[in-house]
Formats: sequence, C-alpha cells, structure tokens
Amino acid sequence: MTTTLVKEINIEKRFNSVNLNELVETASKVIVPLGPLTKFAARHPWAGIEQQSFEQVARKLKSTSNVEIYPDDSILQSAWNRGEIGQEFLEMKLQQWLDSQSFELPSEVVTQFCQATLMQEKKSIKQLPKTEIKGMARELVNDFHIPTKQVLQTYSQRLQRINGENLTEVLNGQLIKWCKLFLDEAQAVWAMPNRDKGFYYAWKEMAKYDPAMNHLIRRELSHLPNDATQALMDALLGLEISYLEIESYLEAHLLALPGWAGTMLWRSQQSTEQKNIVMEYLAVRICLEYALIKPHLPLPQPKQEEKIELLESLIASWAHWGDMPIKEWLELSPKEAKARLALAYRFDQTVQHRLWLEAWEQTFEDQLQNIISSTRNRVVEFPKSALAQFAFCIDVRSEPFRRQLEDAGPFETFGTAGFFGLPIETSELGSKHSHPSLPVLFKPQIKVKEWSSENDLKPYKQRHQTVGSISYAFKRLKYNLPSSLLLPEISGPWLILQTMARSFVPRSTGDVYRKIRGKWLRKPQAQLSLDRAQASESELPIGFTLEEKVHYVRQALKMMSLTENFSPLVVICGHGSHSTNNPYASALDCGACGGASSGFNARVLATLCNLPVVRKLLELEGIIIPKETVFVAAEHITTLDELQWLYVPKLTAKAKEAFEAIQKVLPKVSEQANAERIPKLPGVGACSHNHKNEAKRLGNDWSEVRPEWGLARNATFIIGNRALTQYCNLDARAFLHNYDWKKDPNGPILANIISGPATVAQWINLQYYASTVAPHYYGSGNKTTQTVTAGIGVMQGNASDLLSGLPWQSVMQSDEEAYHAPLRLLVVIEAPRKYVLRMLDQNPAFLQKIQNGWIRLASIDQEGNWESWS
Amino acid sequence: MLNVLNVDLYPSLFLIMLAISLLISVIFLHPKVPLSFVRIHVGFMAIPPLVALVALIFHHERIMVGPWYFSSLSWLLAFFVLTIGCIVQRFCVRYLQGDSAYRKYFALLTVTTTAASATWVSNDFRLLLACWGATLLGLTLLIGLKREWVVARNAAKICGRLFAISWGVLLFAIVWIAQATNHWQLSDALTPTSLAQLDSWEKTCINLLLIVAVVIPAAQWPSHRWLLDSVVAPTPISAVMHAGIVNAGGIILTLFAPLFQGSMAQMILLIFSSISVLIGTGIMLVQVDYKRQLVGSTIAQMSFMLIQCALGAYSAAIMHAVLHGMFKATLFLQSGSVIHRHESGFYTKISLSFSTIVTGSIVGVLAGIGFWLSSPGETYQLVSAFIVGWSVSIAWVQLVAFGLGKMGHVVGFGVLVVGAIVYFFIHHLLYGVLHETVQVNMQPPVLAAIVLILILLGAFLIGAWLTHNRLSKYYAIVYLWLVRLGEPKENVIESHPYYLQSQGGKVR
Repeated sequence: MTTTLVKEINIEKRFNSVNLNELVETASKVIVPLGPLTKFAARHPWAGIEQQSFEQVARKLKSTSNVEIYPDDSILQSAWNRGEIGQEFLEMKLQQWLDSQSFELPSEVVTQFCQATLMQEKKSIKQLPKTEIKGMARELVNDFHIPTKQVLQTYSQRLQRINGENLTEVLNGQLIKWCKLFLDEAQAVWAMPNRDKGFYYAWKEMAKYDPAMNHLIRRELSHLPNDATQALMDALLGLEISYLEIESYLEAHLLALPGWAGTMLWRSQQSTEQKNIVMEYLAVRICLEYALIKPHLPLPQPKQEEKIELLESLIASWAHWGDMPIKEWLELSPKEAKARLALAYRFDQTVQHRLWLEAWEQTFEDQLQNIISSTRNRVVEFPKSALAQFAFCIDVRSEPFRRQLEDAGPFETFGTAGFFGLPIETSELGSKHSHPSLPVLFKPQIKVKEWSSENDLKPYKQRHQTVGSISYAFKRLKYNLPSSLLLPEISGPWLILQTMARSFVPRSTGDVYRKIRGKWLRKPQAQLSLDRAQASESELPIGFTLEEKVHYVRQALKMMSLTENFSPLVVICGHGSHSTNNPYASALDCGACGGASSGFNARVLATLCNLPVVRKLLELEGIIIPKETVFVAAEHITTLDELQWLYVPKLTAKAKEAFEAIQKVLPKVSEQANAERIPKLPGVGACSHNHKNEAKRLGNDWSEVRPEWGLARNATFIIGNRALTQYCNLDARAFLHNYDWKKDPNGPILANIISGPATVAQWINLQYYASTVAPHYYGSGNKTTQTVTAGIGVMQGNASDLLSGLPWQSVMQSDEEAYHAPLRLLVVIEAPRKYVLRMLDQNPAFLQKIQNGWIRLASIDQEGNWESWS
Repeated sequence: MLNVLNVDLYPSLFLIMLAISLLISVIFLHPKVPLSFVRIHVGFMAIPPLVALVALIFHHERIMVGPWYFSSLSWLLAFFVLTIGCIVQRFCVRYLQGDSAYRKYFALLTVTTTAASATWVSNDFRLLLACWGATLLGLTLLIGLKREWVVARNAAKICGRLFAISWGVLLFAIVWIAQATNHWQLSDALTPTSLAQLDSWEKTCINLLLIVAVVIPAAQWPSHRWLLDSVVAPTPISAVMHAGIVNAGGIILTLFAPLFQGSMAQMILLIFSSISVLIGTGIMLVQVDYKRQLVGSTIAQMSFMLIQCALGAYSAAIMHAVLHGMFKATLFLQSGSVIHRHESGFYTKISLSFSTIVTGSIVGVLAGIGFWLSSPGETYQLVSAFIVGWSVSIAWVQLVAFGLGKMGHVVGFGVLVVGAIVYFFIHHLLYGVLHETVQVNMQPPVLAAIVLILILLGAFLIGAWLTHNRLSKYYAIVYLWLVRLGEPKENVIESHPYYLQSQGGKVR
C-alpha cells in the first residue's frame, strides 16, 4: 500500500479512542490469559479463535510468527514407525482432499505427485542444480500468479527481513524487562515505582532515564502523552498503519510475546482497575517500536525475491516427487505449467501435515473402536450390589487405577469431573489465601473454609508462624546489605546437610521432612464451613444454603449417574500429586480444580451427602440414599497410585465391612497400578524393581524432572456407561465420564457434560498438543534451563517470553523422542443418534469446535454402531 | 587405624583415585557403554573427596609429592570442590535424563572439578596453570554444551573470552615471578628470600596482574558480564560454577599471600571490591528473576571474599569461599522450589515497634562488641564484628520479637542460639584446619576497616533514603542502572527457545 493512500485512509477514517479499545479487545483473542504458575490451569492456546478452522489458524500462525501447529515430520515419522498411522487411512484422507480440489491436470498425474510427496519417496536421488532451478524460476515468474496472502508483520519484523537488523529481539528484550519488573509479585526488594498507576504510566516515567536506550531514543520517549490510548494512536499514526490493518497489526504484536501479553490479559480480567492493561501493553510496545524504527523509515518495499524463492521450491518438489526434470518445464504449455505449479503450491507442507495428522487420528479412532467392540459381547455383569462405589475424577490417570480396583473386588467405579460440580473457592485452616477450586471456565460462587475451635487454631497458627519466621529471617538477612555477607557462613552448614541428604537418600529425606513438619504443625481436626454465613457485600458468600446443598448434591450424583443402587460405602475420590522442587507441581494436580488437589472438593461433597436433611429432601425427588450408606472422601495420589483417606465419619456396620475390604485390597491395587505405570517412565537402566519405592523416590527426589507422566498421551474422552469400557485396557489415554442416556431423556446431563468436563478435557488435550508440536512457543521449554521470574512464571535461559504450556520433559521421553502423541481429543458419546443431534443443536459452540477441527466426535448408539461425526 | 597408615599413602591414593575417576568418565563417553553405568561413575566420584576428607582429619603434615603439595588447606579445598562436583553429578543423573549431551555433561563435570581440585594441590607453577586452564576450559564447554541453542553458544563465547584473558594474565604474572626468582615451585618462589629478588615496582606490577587475573573469575565489576550471561547453563552447571569455581580468586590470593601482603595493590582491590559488593547487592535487590538474584548475590559474596583477602584475613576468605559454595550450590539446586503455594498465607506480619527496634539494636551492639573482644588485634575482626552485630540484631527481631505466643518466642530464641553455636563451632573447626597453613604476618591499617564499614553504612543509608523516596528521579536512575547492570546482553536473549522446534528433526 502506498503511503499517500494510507494517509488518505487515515484522514478518511479518523479513529477515536472508543474503537481503538474495541480493536484491542478483538485483537487480544489471538492470545489467552496466563495466570501465575501456582494456579496452573490448563488453557488451550487458541480458545479465542475457534471460529476459524484449525488449518486457517495454522496458516496464520506460520506466516505471522513462524510457528507450526501441525506435528512435524519427525513426530509423524516415529508414529509411522510405531505403526500408529495406517496407510489405508492416509490414502483415504488424501483421496478426500483430492476430491475437494480441482486441477487442470490428468488425475493420475495429480494422484501420483501427491502420493509421492506425502510419502516423501524421492524419485531421483541426485542433488538438484541450484542455478538451473533459479533460472527456471525466473522464466516462470511472470506466468504464475500467486494469490497474495493477507499477512501483516510488525515493522520490526519487516525491517529484519529487509536488512537483517534485529530490532524484534531488541524490542522483545525491552518488553520482557519492563513486563517482569512491573508484574513482579514479591521477588524484588526494590520494586519499580508507580506500579499502581498502570503499566503505561509506570513505564513512561522510567523510560526517559533508562540507560539501556541511547539518548536520542530517551529524548523521543520523554515527550509521550500521559494517556495510553493517545500514545498508542499517535504511534500507529506515526507508523502509518491504516485503519483496516490496525487489528492485525496489534495481533502481530501480541503474538510476538504471547506469554507476557497473556499475563497482561489475565490481569485485565482480575480487577477493573487494570481492565485496560492490554491496551497499555500495546501502547508501550508500539511506542517503543516507533522510537526504535523512526531512523529507518520509510521502509523499502520487499522485492520479488520471495516469489522467486517460492517458485524454486515448487519446481524442486516437482523434480523430487513428480519425476520431472527441470528442463521439461519449457516444453509445457503455459496452461499446464501453471496447473502444475498450482498443484504444488496448494499441496503444501501444511496440507500434507494435516492429512498425516488426520490419518493418525483416524487410525487411533479405528483402534479404539476395535478395543471397545471386542469386549462388547462379553457379558458384563455388575455385582447387583457392589460392596463399595468410588467416584473418580475423569482424569486419564484414574483409568488404570479404576481398572485395578474393579479387578480386586466387588467394587463399582464412576467417572466425573474432579471438582464435582461445586463452584467453590477453598481456604485452608489458618491460611489467608483462598483458591478457586474449579475449572478456569467458571467463576467461584461460594467460599468454603476450614475452621476449628479457637483453642486449637491459635497454637496451630503460632506453630506455623515459627516455621515461617525461620524462612522470613533467612530472607531478611539475605536482602540486607551487611548481613547478606554473613548469611552464607551461618546457613551454609545447614544447607549442605540438607543437600547431602536430598542427594544421597532422596526417598527417606522427603518422607522424614514431611513427617517432621507434620508432627511439628499438628494440624487440628478441621471442620468445613458448609452452612451459609453472612459475608460482606464484596466477598463471596461463605457456605451453602439448604437449597444449594440439595442442588449441588443432586447435580453431582446425576452427573456421575449414581442415583440408585447405593452401596453401603461411597468413596468420593479427589486426586493430587506429590513432587519435589518442581515449579510445575500444580500441572500434575487436578486440572478441573484450577491446579490443586481435588481432595478438598471431595470432602465437601462427601460431607454434604451425609447430611440427613439433604438426604431427606433428595428422597422427595426420588433419589433414595439408604440409611446404611455412608459417603467418605479420599485422595488418589497420582505419583504413588495410593488412596489416602481424607474424611471418614462414623461408619455403619455394613459400611465398615466395605471399608475394611477396601483397606485389605488397596496395597495390591497400588502395587499393580504402579507396575503398569512406573516402567513407562524413562530411567537410567537397572532401576529398582520395587515399583513402590521407585514411585516414592520419583515424588521425593529433588532432581527428578519427570515425577510422573501427568496427562501425557491423553487422546479420548468417553461419555458412557462404565460397562462400555469395563474390560478395556485404555492405557491411561482416556478421560472417562459416566453417562446413562436412559436417565437423561431431555438431555440436560449430556449438555452439562459437554459444556463443562468435555471442554476442560479439550483444553487439557490442546495444551498437551500445543506443547508437543510447538514446544518453544506454546510449551515452556527445557526444565533444566528455566528460571523462575517475578514469582509468577518461568523464562528460558537469560530472558524470554513468559512461558505458558508444559515443559519439554513433560511431553518428551528424551531430546530425541516424543512421549505425548499430539492428537486432537476424540469425544465418544454412548447415546442414540438423536441425543447427539439434539446436543449439537443446543450447543453451537461445540458444533463449531467439531466443524473447525478443534475437537473430534464419535458416537455409539444403542445397537453398538459407531459413527464418526468429524 | 587410619592414622597409623603411612602418611605418604594419602597423596598417592588421592591422585590415583582422581585419575581413575577421570578414566571412568571418559569410558562413559562411549555410546556403547550402557546408560546405567552412570551409577557406577557417580558412585566412584564419591571416593576422591572421601580420601581427601580422611586425609584432612588424620594427616596434618605438609608434604610434597613430585610437583604436588599437600597441606590442610589443599586437602580442604580438594575435598570441598570434589564434594560439590559429586553432589552435582548425582543431581544430574535424573535432572539431565534424556538430554542429547547426557554423557558429555558427566565427562566435562568430572574434568572440571578434578582439574579444579588438582589446581589447589599443585606446587609447580606450570602444573597449576595447566590445571586451572583445564578447569576454565571445562567450564566454558559446559556452558556451551547445548550447542544447538544459539544463546548458549554466545554465552560460552563471552565466558571463554574473559577466561582466556584471566588465564593469560595469570600466566604472565607467574612467568614473571618464575623468571625473577628462578623457581618454578610455588613453595620455593614465595619464600621471603626469593621474593627479596623482586624490585618493588616489579612486585606492584605482578600484584596488579594478579588482581586482574582473580577479579575475572570472581565476576567483579566491570568483568561481571560472564556470570550474568551464563544463566543460560542448566541449573546444576550453574551450581558447580557458583560454588566451586568463582571462588578461585580468593584461593589464588591466599596462595600468593606472601607476595601480595602489604602492597598498595591490596588497597586497590579493596576499593574495586567494595564497588562490586554494592553493585552485586543492588542487582540482587532489583532483579526479579530468581537465578539472576543469585548471580547478584554471588558477585557481592565474591567481592566480600576479596575484601577479606585485601584486609589480610585469608583464613576468613577461605572459610567464606567454602561456606558460600555450600550455600549457593543448595540455592541453585533447589531453585525449582521458589514458587511456593500459599506458604505466605500462614504468616502474620507484625509491624516493627519502637521497643523492638531498641531491643534489637542493643542485642546487636552487644553481640558485635562481644565478638570483637574475642580477638581485638586483627583489622578484619572489626569488620567482622560489625557484620555479626548487624546480623544478630536482624535475626533477633525476626526470630524472637516476631514470634507468636510464648512458644514462638522461646523457639525463635532457641533457633538463634543454636545457629550461633553452630556458627562458632564451624568457624573454630575451619580455623583450626587453616591457621597453620595460612599465615598472616602483617596487619593492614585499621583505617581500611573503618573506611569499609563507613562504605557499608553509607550504602545502607542511601538505600534506605532511596526506598523512602521511590518516586524521586534519583531512585529511578539508580534503579535503572542496577537493572541494566544485571540484565543480560541482547545476543544472549532469545524470546523463544527456537532450538527446541527443530530438535525433533534429528530422528529422521
């Protein structure tokens, strides 16, 4: 676009601050909010742009940020080598693609070319002469029209492409510095001033003194307006960005550092005072860019070189895969040459990778179908009255444990979301912090606190204070000038003792440390504040009203389809993980509870279910919980595969019998679950065959980078009766949610499962997916070179974007081999066709996810017929 | 019993064990050796430090074996460096699991720590230079071992360049000494008679060269760049670097103490190091990256070690180097635990009342005076007493005054007392080991200590004034300068670790 035209547009469309705000808001859909690492919440990096198809987003990210979101050749190759991609499916997908396209070429030529390209079978091995290709490309360049892509890169990116000057990294470096100083939560003793006045203002007041910038730029920055919107507008005008391009220009800037920008977005959602902080971030970024780039303006237009390079690659691919010598191009009619170029252009890497991925997914679906149907004819006979019933989180790690538990005795298990439908914020005894213990999709509505009598609480708090005062004394001595010089001499001997113990006897050190801490703190028996208490207007209400109690219990039981045939003992199981020295500890906890153990929620639900008044009201609605049935709560420790009791009230005789039976089989269940799980973790050979000890070590070893695999390899979400999957080994790859369509004639339960748990699972799935396919951009990089910054997240090496997803080690077996298989989540619903149709009809957002390839859907009807909906 | 064994046994045993551990690490490099061999390797790494420990306890005589020289000081240093090396290698077994350069890390770590320990038992100047050179080279290679990552390569280049300068200057100084005294043995060259052959201008020049050679590995301003940029190295590499290598400056000055003492160079070092204490502490105060805070702290601690050397307190400097090594190694290794969940939610902050300030100050002053009286003759003791008093005052306020309830006060007081007892015990122990080997004949003027205390007090007051005037222009300028001094250079930053994107490509 020429400058004069841009100016005209600018004059024509005088944009005002109102729609600039709107533009920022729309642009920020390309990033997702990033909260602090302590509340690690699985987020799917493309949640705001699901109205575009997966392929569209892939192309966009590739051109703006050079990020590839389809699995690359090496991942596909190793999946192929392991036989996880069936050739017939690959051919099928290719055929489907070919059917959707039309080329003015004989179909066998097209098919042959595409097949060879897809399989990367080189026809001629010899090196292609570079000059010859270049010459041919120049010949053809005027004949071939390349559709211009609407890609907008930032000025600094463009400048880098033109003359190699790396202003992008300079700009990124500056933004990283200012963001971390501004966002710091309690790591620095000397903080950045004016932080309460907003990011832009705080930056503006400092930037004019910043010795990292030369005096010309400092002078430039000292004349900025006080208002962020004004500053952003001025900078955009200065850079001559036309009104129509502003949105994509802002997007390109947000995508440069999606982590820091995402943190700003998260902040903007937390308080109204900071609601404009994304705009302020952009103002800082673009003002700084403008100041840096001013001496280089106007930028020269990019030359034809790029087009020629593209043509060269097209010619080369015909030489490779089409067995077409370079000279032959001259013999073709212009029309055919054009058609051939168009074919190679359209059948590009993105399409190839897409077909490969789809074939992989199709193969998985096929295998899953086989596994499920192979056991279908087996007579599934539940013990009419199970001795005990267990409700587990849908988490994929529950599946093997449930399987072992069911094998061990007359036990029935259920799967449901680990927050059990309770929209609560939790607060531990004596703590001032509270944690939103529910999926990040929802907002907490009720607060539940632990409490105990003042007589117990006061000494408990004092004991906590003593523990805290040692670490506070350490910090004070560390950050005070003369005393910091003595601190190593005082604390060195103690620290080395700890280091020795942790290094050479990691397992017992962790245990002993935890025991001593527990013994010292002696946490008193705590009650839950379940009854509604008045709270101030601004805060969340504490506890439930009676209606709410009944509502949430009913909802939870219906969701897990446990509304009749209650066993004498019902165990509500949350889950949590134990790991040491692991900044990503919360990523291993319950994803449905905002990255914390779901034990708290399990306790709340079990306690509510035992309330006589609740049971009485439920009885009126037909949910009859027998008198002898007792609900208890437990926590599944996923690192150890153990069940730990959290809440066991007085048991009835029958419940007691069940409880004892469980206690008896638990060691064996743990042992078998560990035996299945531990060998999957990479070890340095000759590791102990005592899986229990190994599991304990994994959790306690401070040098362990893979304490467990977490949810890696997750691939499917099965909504149906347990009978469907009862005898299937699903290899810890499936989220399992109980659902009985017969009990859901109007479909609200299915709708709830799809909009809640299935979405949580999709987010988790795509987070693992993204961290595997783009580990540098959507993952958080190598754990060994991370540094914690600002108390909120991690960076790589000296400085980097604030990294969002999972670390390299959580998805990779080793530097060379992936562990996680990047497949998009396959949701399988066991219900008649019309149920699925009705659900899709009522939930357009979910339909959009399927149509655009963000999730996949299959269903099994009452006759057992499998149907793919994607 | 062990002490009846022939004394010559320890040095030979020690050297043989070092050689074997090197050999084992080279064997492990071979791709055909199974990965489980790493356990044997790390197990063996524990033997040389154990030999050094036994020798340290039972073998008090100084002994020369060929070009090697064994004294309590060298045993202590060898034991310390090798122990850190062993701990770090044990850490790496799991931590680096799956890394494509897994085997190389172990080989290079072994070379680096073995060479470092060999440096401190060398008596021949040439051997010392060779070992020290090998240490620096090993460290450089370790920093750059993630070759596919451009920032690691750049950081290794920066480190390598500075290390080469430092080593070259040391080489020059040593050749000068050897030429002038006609001795290549450290024990011969640094006797008063040999040193008498040096002119005073020669002494001054050599001392200045020594200062240049030691301030670089100690990451002193203005050569602190390398330590800041090497944050790209994996955590255990940083641990070994900050614990076992950066403190070499203090050790070299201790070895060359007979030459270094009483010269003007001491005062120059004192001034430069004082600046570095302030800069290092400042970086620690303004930085928000945990590892970068630790770097700031190391810079300040190493400056303090060099100040101790400048004040002639060589035993104190060695003690500080060793204890700081333990401290910093632990802090690096547990740097994954910095993000605590809800821990602060249990802590009740108590505001500082006037009476607390008064009691805290009185306790601090009393402790300081008591400490000074225990050995009032030495110049450095004055500095030490000042710092001890200051620290006790803070510890008292935090542990005792801020305790909740009677039990809180009692336990806090107990912690303070136990901490003090252990501190004195350890110091007594180390002093006992060191006082024979490290000899100090000359005390620098008391004025130097007073000036230092004034600098520290002045910095404290300026800092306090600045933090109370956060909105002033001066705060902004000081703050931003400290940020700038602590920030990495542009060529060692990458906004996303792009090397991971293509790393998977190796399979094909």
